[in-house]
Amino acid sequence: MGNTTTLSDNPRVSNPANTNGSKSGLPPATSPKSDLMGLQSLRPDDHFHSYPEYFVERRHEECIRCLVCVRQCPYDCTYYDPDRDVVYNVHQNCVNCKRCVAMCPTHCIRIERFDSGFRDNGHWGTHLVRGLRKQADTGGVLLTGLGNDLPYPSYFDRIVLDASQVTNPSIDPLREPMELRTYLGRKPESYRPGSPGEVFPNILCEIPVLFAPMSFGAISYNFQHGLALAAQEMGTYFNTGEGGLHPDFRKFRDSVIVQVASGRFGVDPDYLLSSAACEIKIGQGAKPGIGGHLPGEKVNAEISRTRMIPVGTDALSPAPQHDIYSIEDLRLLIYAIKEATEYTRPVSVKIAAVHNTAAIVSGIVRAGADIVVIDGFRGGTGAAPMIIRDHVGIPVEVALAQADQRLREEGIRHQASIIAAGGIRNSADVVKAIALGADAVYIATSAMIAVGCTLCQQCHRGLCAWGITTNRPDLLPRLPADQAAGRLTGLLRGWQHEIQEMLGLMGLNSIESLRGNRLKLRGVGLTQLELQTLGIRQAGL
Amino acid sequence: MKRVYPVEERCINCHLCEVACIVSHSRTKTALGAYQVEKLSFNWVRPHALDPAVALAEGTPLPLNRCRVDVQGSVFISTSCRHCQEPDCVKACKNGSLYLDEVGRVLLREDHCVGCWMCLMACRYGAIERNPYVKNVPGQESNGINHHCDLCRDRSHPACVSICPTQALVYEERGSS
Ligand code: SF4
Ligand code: SF4
Ligand code: SF4
Ligand code: SF4
Ligand code: SF4
Repeated sequence: MGNTTTLSDNPRVSNPANTNGSKSGLPPATSPKSDLMGLQSLRPDDHFHSYPEYFVERRHEECIRCLVCVRQCPYDCTYYDPDRDVVYNVHQNCVNCKRCVAMCPTHCIRIERFDSGFRDNGHWGTHLVRGLRKQADTGGVLLTGLGNDLPYPSYFDRIVLDASQVTNPSIDPLREPMELRTYLGRKPESYRPGSPGEVFPNILCEIPVLFAPMSFGAISYNFQHGLALAAQEMGTYFNTGEGGLHPDFRKFRDSVIVQVASGRFGVDPDYLLSSAACEIKIGQGAKPGIGGHLPGEKVNAEISRTRMIPVGTDALSPAPQHDIYSIEDLRLLIYAIKEATEYTRPVSVKIAAVHNTAAIVSGIVRAGADIVVIDGFRGGTGAAPMIIRDHVGIPVEVALAQADQRLREEGIRHQASIIAAGGIRNSADVVKAIALGADAVYIATSAMIAVGCTLCQQCHRGLCAWGITTNRPDLLPRLPADQAAGRLTGLLRGWQHEIQEMLGLMGLNSIESLRGNRLKLRGVGLTQLELQTLGIRQAGL
Repeated sequence: MKRVYPVEERCINCHLCEVACIVSHSRTKTALGAYQVEKLSFNWVRPHALDPAVALAEGTPLPLNRCRVDVQGSVFISTSCRHCQEPDCVKACKNGSLYLDEVGRVLLREDHCVGCWMCLMACRYGAIERNPYVKNVPGQESNGINHHCDLCRDRSHPACVSICPTQALVYEERGSS
């Protein structure tokens, strides 16, 4: 991506010693702006266009000068002035990650919007003006993390669930069995008792929620370890993303889906065999059609070992897989992996949700994929150009509904399972996605929020204040793997109960009966064409 | 006996253990009371306040945490008294101010200590600090009294262990030390 920059990094105020502290443990006392005597620079080449976005309000009368906030802020925003004996902030560096707010022992910090933004304008939103000014300062592509944050309408929020009343009984999941087990992979053509026919490798999920691909490097060692522990505990799977599988995590081979992406980082026969399933990554919902980028400064010794690349080199994965230019080429790779793993594992293919997803999915299934992942435009990323994250791709709800419909019409729905990904926020989204035709869902942002993420969208900078998307040694311990695993397990257990409740109230006793059961869904506030695209009926009918 | 053990790889250098230590040994037992009314503070803040005459005269904060976070690059560790089974400090103390109590804690008789610093020199862990603001020998120029972790003797559970956000301090039985 060459020349890249971000909305909030500002070379004028940087003090790398900040979080490391000095030998005595006392953060450096010098002001970051000492060269300017605390004054704002007005030189145009000096970021004079970067107005602060957030204001760190500290009630000084309740501040005990413990400097916890100073040490915890990784964004060069919080400083201590020993002469005045005050803690103060360089407001334009604040990204509203809320780490200081959470850690302050007297709760005396509050983050506010700095001001009203630019003059109200229905066309030129403040975020657009900020982006333009930043870009003119630096001449770079604006990078960001996480998923599309623009207020596009959400179909999940315009779909409601049915419930049983009088004419059909609801089921109480606390008193009666309720099955959430899901098998992912190709199913037999037909079933006759006594002669099962050809049986294909499937993976068993105790809950139809899997952890989405997140690579070691994009996320921290500890977070990936936490995902692995939680997946093992809950009988589901985590996914390596394109970053390879660290030797320490090969012991989780029964709980991991290993990815083969265009960069082929860390791929060898042992990698493919250290898995429950293998996945070919074609695209990612957050950045359909472009490759991955792990900046060289994030590639430390462990990441270099796992990805099999030299320390400090940029890990750039190409936009397409250069050996896949057609469905026939894809078939070759699918079968190469099946051969390498001796047909013992399902092979998944992951694509971003785009305009003709249904036809593409049909081709992928015919090419031999056992699982197809459709990743919608709300899906997150460790780093992507903001312009692409915010404007490319389509919602997973429509892509999923269309793909499921197409596979049914063609009589090949049983040949592959579908995983829906990209912006699943709660158990109701899971239920709606399954009723729209998914077998299971992937979650990533929800899992990050569960372990502390505050959606500050700075993942690409590798400074995550919560220790989730960083591998800097001083930030890494902020998320211990066992704490992460405990919180992720808690999240999945909560969803498990909620999904069981929702199935029960619809009069269903297994997740199987919900899959593609669009009669359980109704649309509110959707047009005729939207209802038709989703394959659901209008509420009230 | 249960002791406090640091887990180096979990420490995030937040220094909340020091905050909790100070508050739990304060009179008011609240953060604002300890820091603002009693003027307690950390031993890494304002080195000039270490001169007790100046500090007492000016009312500047008294740096009195008993655990302290040692920082070396990106390695952090919160250290405090090990409560040794055969404590060198107790052996070295010439007037019996330091003693092993019935459960095995090494404690101080605060009104006995004359600030001779034999304990400070004997402790192989460097776990003893000086509290220069208490004087048992009137008129004497220097000194103050011994200051070290008492495992929060007023509490059921050490405060540093309770507050640590990443469980980088554990309070457990590990046999002899
Ligand atoms: S820790 Fe986060 S919220 Fe607090 S000042 Fe720093 S950037 Fe802002
Ligand atoms: S963490 Fe809170 S009390 Fe401590 S220095 Fe910062 S604002 Fe003050
Ligand atoms: S993972 Fe970290 S950097 Fe990324 S949005 Fe969440 S808190 Fe911010
Ligand atoms: S409270 Fe815990 S994590 Fe924070 S400095 Fe103390 S030992 Fe380390
Ligand atoms: S002060 Fe030092 S010698 Fe005495 S008990 Fe504590 S660690 Fe042991």
